[in-house]
Amino acid sequence: MSANPPNTSLDRAHIRNFSIIAHIDHGKSTLADRLLQATNAVSAREAKEQILDSMDLERERGITIKASAVTVYHRHKPGSKSDDLETDYEAPADETGEHRAVKGTADEHGELFMLNFIDTPGHVDFNYEVSRALKACEGAILVVDATQGVQAQTVVNAYLAINEDLAIVPVINKIDLPSARPDDMAMEVEQVLGIRAEECIYVSAKTGQGIKELLAAICEKFPPPREPVTPKLRALIFDAVYDDYRGVITYVRVMDGGQLKVGDKIRMLGTGRTFQVTDLGKYTPKPVRVPTLGPGETGYIVAAIRSLKDVRIGDTVTLELDPATEPLPGYKPPMQMVFCDFYPATTSETKGSDFEQLRDAMEKLSLNDSSFTFQPVHSDALGFGFRCGFLGLLHMDIIQERLEREGNVEIVQTAPTVSYQVLIRGDANQAVKTSNKGGIPPTVVAGAGQKFPGTEQIIPENRTLLEVHNPADLPDPSSIEDIREPICKVDIILPKEYIGDVMKLCMDRRGIYKSQSFISSDREMLTFEIPLAEIIYDFFDKLKGMTSGYGTMDYELLGYRPDNLVKMDILVNGDPVEALSIIVHRERAEHRGRHLVSKLREQIPRHQFEIPVQAAIGSKIIARETIKSFRKNVTAKCYGGDVSRKRKLLEKQKEGKKRMKSIGSVEIPQEAFMAVLDQGD
Amino acid sequence: MVQHSRLEILGQHAAGETNSADEPAARAYASRVVGPWSSGSDRETVRSLYFHVPFCFHKCHYCDFYSFVDTQDRQQPFVDRLERELAALGRLAGHPTLRTVFVGGGTPSLLKVDLWERLLAALRTHFDMSEFAASAADGADRYAGAEFTVECNPETVSEPLMASLRAGGVNRVSIGAQSFNPRHLKTLERWHDPDSVPRAVELARSAGIARQSIDLIHALPGQTEDEWAEDLDRVLSLGVTHVSCYTLTYEPGTALTARMRRGEIEPAGEDLEACLYEAAVSRLQSAGLSRYEISNFAASESDRSMHNLAYWRQEQWLAAGPSASGHLWRGGSMRGGSWRWKNVPRLGDYLSLDDNGLAPIAELETPDPARLLRERLMMGLRLEEGIDARDFLADTVAIAPDRVERLSEEITSLRDRGLLRSDVRGRWTLSERGLLVADDVAATLMRTLA
Ligand SMILES: Nc1nc2c(ncn2[C@@H]2O[C@H](COP(=O)(O)OP(=O)(O)O)[C@@H](O)[C@H]2O)c(=O)[nH]1
Ligand code: SF4
Ligand SMILES: [Mg+2]
Repeated sequence: MSANPPNTSLDRAHIRNFSIIAHIDHGKSTLADRLLQATNAVSAREAKEQILDSMDLERERGITIKASAVTVYHRHKPGSKSDDLETDYEAPADETGEHRAVKGTADEHGELFMLNFIDTPGHVDFNYEVSRALKACEGAILVVDATQGVQAQTVVNAYLAINEDLAIVPVINKIDLPSARPDDMAMEVEQVLGIRAEECIYVSAKTGQGIKELLAAICEKFPPPREPVTPKLRALIFDAVYDDYRGVITYVRVMDGGQLKVGDKIRMLGTGRTFQVTDLGKYTPKPVRVPTLGPGETGYIVAAIRSLKDVRIGDTVTLELDPATEPLPGYKPPMQMVFCDFYPATTSETKGSDFEQLRDAMEKLSLNDSSFTFQPVHSDALGFGFRCGFLGLLHMDIIQERLEREGNVEIVQTAPTVSYQVLIRGDANQAVKTSNKGGIPPTVVAGAGQKFPGTEQIIPENRTLLEVHNPADLPDPSSIEDIREPICKVDIILPKEYIGDVMKLCMDRRGIYKSQSFISSDREMLTFEIPLAEIIYDFFDKLKGMTSGYGTMDYELLGYRPDNLVKMDILVNGDPVEALSIIVHRERAEHRGRHLVSKLREQIPRHQFEIPVQAAIGSKIIARETIKSFRKNVTAKCYGGDVSRKRKLLEKQKEGKKRMKSIGSVEIPQEAFMAVLDQGD
Repeated sequence: MVQHSRLEILGQHAAGETNSADEPAARAYASRVVGPWSSGSDRETVRSLYFHVPFCFHKCHYCDFYSFVDTQDRQQPFVDRLERELAALGRLAGHPTLRTVFVGGGTPSLLKVDLWERLLAALRTHFDMSEFAASAADGADRYAGAEFTVECNPETVSEPLMASLRAGGVNRVSIGAQSFNPRHLKTLERWHDPDSVPRAVELARSAGIARQSIDLIHALPGQTEDEWAEDLDRVLSLGVTHVSCYTLTYEPGTALTARMRRGEIEPAGEDLEACLYEAAVSRLQSAGLSRYEISNFAASESDRSMHNLAYWRQEQWLAAGPSASGHLWRGGSMRGGSWRWKNVPRLGDYLSLDDNGLAPIAELETPDPARLLRERLMMGLRLEEGIDARDFLADTVAIAPDRVERLSEEITSLRDRGLLRSDVRGRWTLSERGLLVADDVAATLMRTLA
């Protein structure tokens, strides 16, 4: 089945840890498949597509969401530029998991290396996942599609790796395609990333062409794991999953000390909790037990860890009896960019079991994906739920879907919003009392005399800077001096002919032009500064649409800047619905308001009564629409034989409204909450 | 807390399918209801009987009744079988005195005269039809206390048939005119000549069948307000004392619905429907036909359909024939809940399956007092007379005491919104606006009892 770890333990010099990084769809997962297959870790028969994308959701969407770590074994002759593949001289592994050498002895083909590698996601929302993976590696394979060239996430991921001081092996993939232009793409790599074109290895992850050279380069160019800097065990937790039977399984990279063994008592330096190791193993890609994990190796630990709270991604594992004192440099906590509320879809007035079920599901999932946050909230309109923070909209989508699938809950979600900083007059204590009871009070970012974060500017006397994650949680408007929104540096790589259109899109979204730079003779990179709120929703789709799919983008948060921003409330049937409030630029408020109420008019179904829908700034109504009442909803014929069927219909009509929330006596469907996002351009 | 009653689907064949005699579907018989009911103290409290004649001349495109094109050769086996069923029902019910009989279809008037006479005789044998005999003796019995209705398609009404029916106690015909406009009749795939309607009314009248009712349909694809006004005028010119006006409904599984889905015809839409309906109400009311149920209009209280009122008031009735459905109380009053059941729809099954005369059934709802309360809301609010609030609240207190508060809150809120009134008689009735959204109001109230 799978290549069992050899009996001899390998010295550090024969271990390589690397990640595969690329823009989405450039072939990371497929390349991982080829590496698994070429080293006989899986048979050709087992090598279904994108083996490492094991989550159903990943397979359905064809994307990688979670980084996954695997270990394979490979023989390499030091100095050689091309290796024999295990498939060329070993029969596929038999039932016992042993490979039988069929052509001479295995040693003739080189020295045995252990390759630990991680396939990573490519989407901008999951950059955090990538940087986590990179921390466990010494090298990165940077995959570039031979027909697409360098794209926005190619650049970002490459820089993530460069910043971590990793060795990079650039790979030009998909050379089997007739439209492949590997030489041009290698030039782009040189032009944009400063990596010499000759370094690029040409590969087809589909046919396997170039894999021999790639395996040789992995062993040659990636450095072995660094030497331990202390004799005390230190292992970095870079991932964890919850297993119903075995509890929390942590994925670690051993950095320092000696061997970690089954039976060892371990301690988490961050949380201080201790556990007994019951199992150690590696994914090859099937889970295989190993007796020990040594410095430089990656693997998993099972230690009967029952509580999700006892494990923190980025924490350091050490030995209870001979502990290290200093933790490894962990991870910078990820920065949530968008926020929304999740409520159980079932309407219950009390804090019922569906709320608890949702909490449970969130806790479990947060272990596996520590990059989203959640805090309980209560809204008069929507009941008990959670305010959640995500890395981006795709991330939000994925979390919602995973919660529903893995946690078996149904969720109504409010429109995502960015966070805002508010400069208020007076002292914080008073201002953090939000008028939105049940909401989350603003947090104090900095007080008078301190600097605005990321700037040299000083906060004046008698002023406080607050942060809110929901427009509804803004402090009393009379105390607000200004509202600040997150601004991003947006890099867009696109074919030249679309530059005019895309410039206009960026300007329409309140973007400020920064620069334009050369990628190749026909492609450029545009850089703009754009408010995050303007790009999180449909910006990318618009970009794709206007560039026939060729434009790619990446963004990075620069900081917060004040602008002429106001809060716009939406009143449904006269009542403000906090989940529909948005913060908008004053000049665009009317337009957004009109667009939003007309969207809501389409999406809120007719009721027994007329429903006015209004947009207001303060007490001033800036747009209004009316949802007409039902004109008619009555069965024409209802006689003796119709009673049973009719009754069931009426009863279903009332109960079956899933993904609706009643606000007052108005039922608002899920889509209506999302209407807020539509910019109307 | 209130448990939902189980609707048992006993046969797997839905109504509206074409008939086939192969593989009998049913495993249960009407004896599951009529048996326990008749052994209680409630025998002889039933006053109504419905029976179903499944034959039609041709299948109309909007129709979801169980009916199929008549092949003549099945009429006699059908009547044989129906006689046995009537005998069994009459026996089990203790030969009750009937006040209302309704024969629906299908097209009952398609049944041959000699077969009709056998059925009428069977009724007299197995039920106490004295009320009808009395009224038959009295030449113009419009106001007699018993009602025997037969549904007729206008083109099938003949002098001998009317005479036989009259002799057998029939005192009311319900004539399916639907429209007087040939174009709209064509859309419905109704093949009769519009002039056959006045002829049918005349034939019934001269045979001494004193009450005639006409069915009309509005909101037909492409129908204008003027066309509808013409239809109403035609009906009023006939001098009938009862009219039923139905908004065209696209029932699942009908040819009309399929055509609508294919985009061949366009439904009228909510606003036009409402407008046509309101036109009917005002035109008919000003001609002296007042609305007593959402779709039904009558010249006087005694012109209302007693039999249909029994449905809307949750009274009991027996049922015979394929796809016929019946309703019987448990424990002699509505508070005990009720059985509702439906005979199997297929003629083949009906003919071949026989439990001492009783028919195989396809659906059964067992007594659940709260369910019956909800049904009272759903049906009762359709009536101009509404629901007796005191009775209803008293029954709710007895059946689901913890729901009284929510119910009355909801009543108040509907009243505040002008959809429902509590009138001087102490009854809940729907306002004009409420009637137009009666389904929604009913659903809202029913939810408080679910
Ligand atoms: N023709 C060809 N297609 C490839 C090659 N590598 C990957 N693909 C295809 O490119 C698409 C994206 O591959 P995937 O591995 O999911 O990309 P990822 O998003 O970077 O993980 C899939 O349809 C693959 O089958 C290759 O070398 N040649
Ligand atoms: S005549 Fe009546 S029952 Fe027969 S098909 Fe037409 S509408 Fe249906
Ligand atoms: Mg992938």
